[in-house]
Amino acid sequence: MTLNALIVACGWEPALVPDPEVEVSGAYVSDLLSDVMAHCPDGAVLITVQNHTNSVAVCTLVGAPAIVLVHNREIPEEMQAAASREGVALLRTTDDQFHAALRVGKALGIGVGE
Amino acid sequence: MTMSKVAEVLQAEVLVKGDGMSRRVGHVMASDLMSDVLLVDEEDMLLLTSLASDQVLRTAQIVGAVGVVVVNGKPLPSSMVNVANDLGMTLATSRLSKYDACVAVHTARHPL
Amino acid sequence: MSTSDSQPPIASEERTTLGETDNDPIVLLELIQRLKVRDVMTSNLVTVPRDATMQQAQELMRQKKISSVPVEEKGRLFGLVSIDDIIRALVAGTIHESCGRHMTTKLVVLEDDMPLSFALRYFDRYHYGRFPVINRDRQLVGIICHRDINRALLVELTQELHRLEGASLQKDGDDGSGSLYLLREFPICKYDFENAGKAANQIKQVLQEKKLPPKIIRRIAVAAYELEINLCVHSDGGVLSWQISNGRSEIVARDAGPGIEDVEWACRDGASTANEWIRSLGFGAGMGLVNVRRVSDEFDIKSKKGSGTTVKSIIYIEDKAS
Repeated sequence: MTLNALIVACGWEPALVPDPEVEVSGAYVSDLLSDVMAHCPDGAVLITVQNHTNSVAVCTLVGAPAIVLVHNREIPEEMQAAASREGVALLRTTDDQFHAALRVGKALGIGVGE
Repeated sequence: MTMSKVAEVLQAEVLVKGDGMSRRVGHVMASDLMSDVLLVDEEDMLLLTSLASDQVLRTAQIVGAVGVVVVNGKPLPSSMVNVANDLGMTLATSRLSKYDACVAVHTARHPL
Repeated sequence: MSTSDSQPPIASEERTTLGETDNDPIVLLELIQRLKVRDVMTSNLVTVPRDATMQQAQELMRQKKISSVPVEEKGRLFGLVSIDDIIRALVAGTIHESCGRHMTTKLVVLEDDMPLSFALRYFDRYHYGRFPVINRDRQLVGIICHRDINRALLVELTQELHRLEGASLQKDGDDGSGSLYLLREFPICKYDFENAGKAANQIKQVLQEKKLPPKIIRRIAVAAYELEINLCVHSDGGVLSWQISNGRSEIVARDAGPGIEDVEWACRDGASTANEWIRSLGFGAGMGLVNVRRVSDEFDIKSKKGSGTTVKSIIYIEDKAS
């Protein structure tokens, strides 16, 4: 599924989408950047509360095309700048991590009912 | 859905049964930030986390959580078992990722 | 330091001994003043008389696994046979001669009623591994080495810790007006993640025993926990005190430093000075103070950069009407 289609399906606020056509394979939910570094699969969007530059850096390293900030966390200027430099999409949602994950699961058709 | 059913769905290994096994899971929280967990005013919370530390259990006790499931098959420090026992907190580990665990719990609660 | 008058000045680059800087923990400084050399030294002595041979001294040192042996007769100290003396005797072929002839006689000794701080300065100044200890009557009463000091300090610090823990205030009862009265104090150490949260866990347990409404218990527990973690993560250590009286819960987190530069900023959502290491432990997301304020009926923070911070959280446990 393309990132753009996922954004639409999940109703996320697109704060920055450098490449809407990039393919998304799934999601990874974590607020521990070391954990993201170790386990986040290539092509997964990162669902996290960590609204800082380091999240962008980690996504670049593991090949995660987008960050979904939960709880509507604000995007600091430095983070926005880093993401635009690295080509990482920034999305916001009022959902928490659990519900954001469910939306992805549903959009990707992994047996998530209402 | 009870905590013991959740453990089954997550193919989890229950390390400490505590007081939560027969309790109903009301709300699911998937977070590694304890402050984040403390912000949520939900009862009967299940905490899915990739953080393996005593503080996860202490936080869970503060918010009256039903239980804690550490995801990614992370090995737990032995102190966690002791703290969980002290606090009567249900503690389990699952090999699933947090994302897969979220989807699995939800799917079990709301079958297609 | 009380002994500094009687000591020659120490060059500034040598000022690294415990007790020589202002940065040592106060507990340690008090300990090395309070403890006497006699509290720390080994008094169970192995000695040789002057007419023992160097070889006998060597054999004794080997058996007892010690690196020097005092030469003593009837409590009087004549000298010390060290490993150096033994080696010299072996090389010179005098190993069968008497200790009296080949011992070290130019000795630096300590007196048993000197404070430990004084002994530490001697170790620093003379670079000997050990010092014989004599009493006022110039009788040999012991020997002291670094290991003795380390062991004694560890034992004392452990006792001090137990004392501090035991001193955690506990007072329950009635405030005279018939309503609940509780008072607890918990010392919180910097970066002590192993114990951080224990105070809040205890507070919650007490409240559950007292059967307060769950929603109120939770708010108090959350405030206590966040403040406890704050003390652990951000302060140099402090005290979390908790009091229930007049139908309200008051939690006060007080520390002695380092203080907050911009209090308004620190109370903002997402504001954090935590490093990656603290974040990796699940804290430092910058929501702590926001969260305390959220659950409190009254909230107050006072801080000054360079001095301490005091945060107060008040939560009403009884309706004003009742």
